[in-house]
Amino acid sequence: MSHTVLVCDDAIFMRTMISDILTQAGYEVVGEAESGTQAVEKYAQLKPDLVTMDIVMPDMGGIDAVREIVKADPSARILMCSAMGQQALVVEAIQAGAKDFVVKPFQPSRVLEAVQRVLG
Amino acid sequence: MDLSQYAELFLAESREHLSTINRLLLEWERDPQASEPVAGIFRAMHTIKGMAATMGYAKVADLAHRTENLLDLLRRGERTASDEVLELLFKSADSLDQAIEASVAGRESQVDVGAVLQAVDDAASSVEKLVGRGKRARPSAPAVAAPAGAGRVVQVTLVPESPLKGARALIILQQMETLGRVHAVEPTPAAMEAEEFDGRFAFRLETEAADEAVAQAIRGGGDVERVEVASTDAVEPAVEAVGRQARHIRVDLRRLDALMNLIGELLTTRAALADISVRRADPELEEVSAKFSQLAGDLQSEIIQARMTPVWQVFDRFPRLVRDLSRKLGKQVAFRVQGKDIELDRAILDEIGDSLVHLLRNSVGHGIESPKERKAAGKPPEGVVELSAVRERAAVAIRVRDDGRGIDRAKILARAQQLGLVDADAESLSDEVLLRLLSQSGMSTAEEVSDVSGRGVGVDAVVHATRALGGGVEVHTAAGEGTTFTLRLPTTLAIVRALIARVGEERYALPITHVAETLDLGAAHVTRADERDAMTLREGVVPLVYLRRMLEIAGDAPPRSPVIVLQIGERRSGLVVDQLLGQQEIVVKAFTPPRGMLPIFSGATILGEGRPVLILDAGGFV
Repeated sequence: MSHTVLVCDDAIFMRTMISDILTQAGYEVVGEAESGTQAVEKYAQLKPDLVTMDIVMPDMGGIDAVREIVKADPSARILMCSAMGQQALVVEAIQAGAKDFVVKPFQPSRVLEAVQRVLG
Repeated sequence: MDLSQYAELFLAESREHLSTINRLLLEWERDPQASEPVAGIFRAMHTIKGMAATMGYAKVADLAHRTENLLDLLRRGERTASDEVLELLFKSADSLDQAIEASVAGRESQVDVGAVLQAVDDAASSVEKLVGRGKRARPSAPAVAAPAGAGRVVQVTLVPESPLKGARALIILQQMETLGRVHAVEPTPAAMEAEEFDGRFAFRLETEAADEAVAQAIRGGGDVERVEVASTDAVEPAVEAVGRQARHIRVDLRRLDALMNLIGELLTTRAALADISVRRADPELEEVSAKFSQLAGDLQSEIIQARMTPVWQVFDRFPRLVRDLSRKLGKQVAFRVQGKDIELDRAILDEIGDSLVHLLRNSVGHGIESPKERKAAGKPPEGVVELSAVRERAAVAIRVRDDGRGIDRAKILARAQQLGLVDADAESLSDEVLLRLLSQSGMSTAEEVSDVSGRGVGVDAVVHATRALGGGVEVHTAAGEGTTFTLRLPTTLAIVRALIARVGEERYALPITHVAETLDLGAAHVTRADERDAMTLREGVVPLVYLRRMLEIAGDAPPRSPVIVLQIGERRSGLVVDQLLGQQEIVVKAFTPPRGMLPIFSGATILGEGRPVLILDAGGFV
């Protein structure tokens, strides 16, 4: 059975792009969220094997969403999606329980490497 | 990819980095032997490159990348900066500036950086020939010292292209925590998060796991180029830590403006609440009202503080301006800046930038003489232009001083007499009158109009902009000794109580500072003398100004129009409007009126419902 993924990003373009990369590599994207709050809700509902999480999102940001998700499920596997120059935020996310990160602009190969590391 | 949300941030950060680059280039130009400037320029260029690549601004990224390449060669080659290279780097910074502005504005396709790119590449290859490729090789051994203590020493090098190396190192360290105890990490976490972290780090690991298992776990962390696990006890000096900077966040200035406007409304509401509580004589209500009043006041001062910005944010772009200008004009100018850390409200600071450009251009263009002329006058060939900020009680004085030839009073006087602005028999001009004359259009005595200091409208614009901010301008000038312009500015944006009046469809705000009283025109005794209406008010006669006529609004004023009596010193004037709508706290915003506009507005504000409103300047009527 393929691994299930929840894609969280406030930009439709980014969600589409990440979903495409993952689907083409054989992962099953079971849900998308466009805010931190939605990410937390959908995680509880879908219990995916992996979450890709944007850092900057409206209402609840990605880092707070990581905290909430990890609080509910300490084994959650979350991959942060960061822009250049957000190192401090990525560090904060990792300290909050995220497992790895990728930096925009995405190269599909690097996204998949990171996904494999997190699921490994 | 929707990157528009990052566009403004990108722009703001890029401008800061460009300002740093220009400042460091000037430093480097003054001391070509120094090695610090090139490292700083390199870092700023690198950051711009990374940001631009993320934004998809290919031309900016490309130019930054290739300039960075040149800088890298200069840095590694320990070459001193030649004039040509510096000139090229200045040019590259300018092109980068233009390319960034254009890209953010969606006009990247119109940017042409081809010529600069070529020049940068040519310079890079000629430097490379001199330096040789060998110098560029990356040192293969981890250069981080082995930390002291118990356990095995682990040294890790990340691949050079790994993004966010600090975060990557943290992931690896967290994985190590699952194997055993990690300590004595070098460099410190703060240094790892810094831009300069090159991906080499070391730590002590106390674990049962075999070397090979440790190495494998580290490689599993991603982007690892090299791992060494050894039980050496050799102690070497620790890597110098990079201090963590104060925590700051970026806030869109419009957010702060919106907050200021809301505070204005809150203060108006506070006044209304206080009125009600006094009327009701309810002790409970009064207590809540007093508490509310205090909190609103605290909130106001907090927000005013949050808006304070050091003047260097504007001053930093001037050394470059003065340098370019003096080179172009063949003058020698030492430019000094003082009081860079003095703070002003961001909005005020933004408004004075253009004024300072005018004044500095005047100083370099008209004030400072040519080296030859200076020598002939017994002065050193190099002139001095000084820009300083000083705190003076609640105000800040910003001065532009030069030791040039001074303003030619006789010439100004003659011109003013010719234009009929001064009595024909006047023999001299005081500084005060001089400034008044200088700030009238058409008073330029510059022999030729140049693109350096414009058409003599500079001082006019400076005086107007400064007054609109609630400040004042002074000038001191002495023949042969130089000229000093002083701008005295309030440090914070003013929140003032204003009368809101309606004329036709528009509303206007009139700060109550100069409002003596209001009354009903119908009840007043109006007389007519010299084509002007006036009303008798108690012992005196007050001239009337019909705002409706002045603003050329069609139609008649309602019969029972209110009159606002303005008083400045001994002089009074009655302003006739259509209706009074009450008083309100408003946030005064500086405002440069379009040319040709009536000189009766001092600024603008936004009322509660988001309606922009012009602020009337009592001085324009009295």
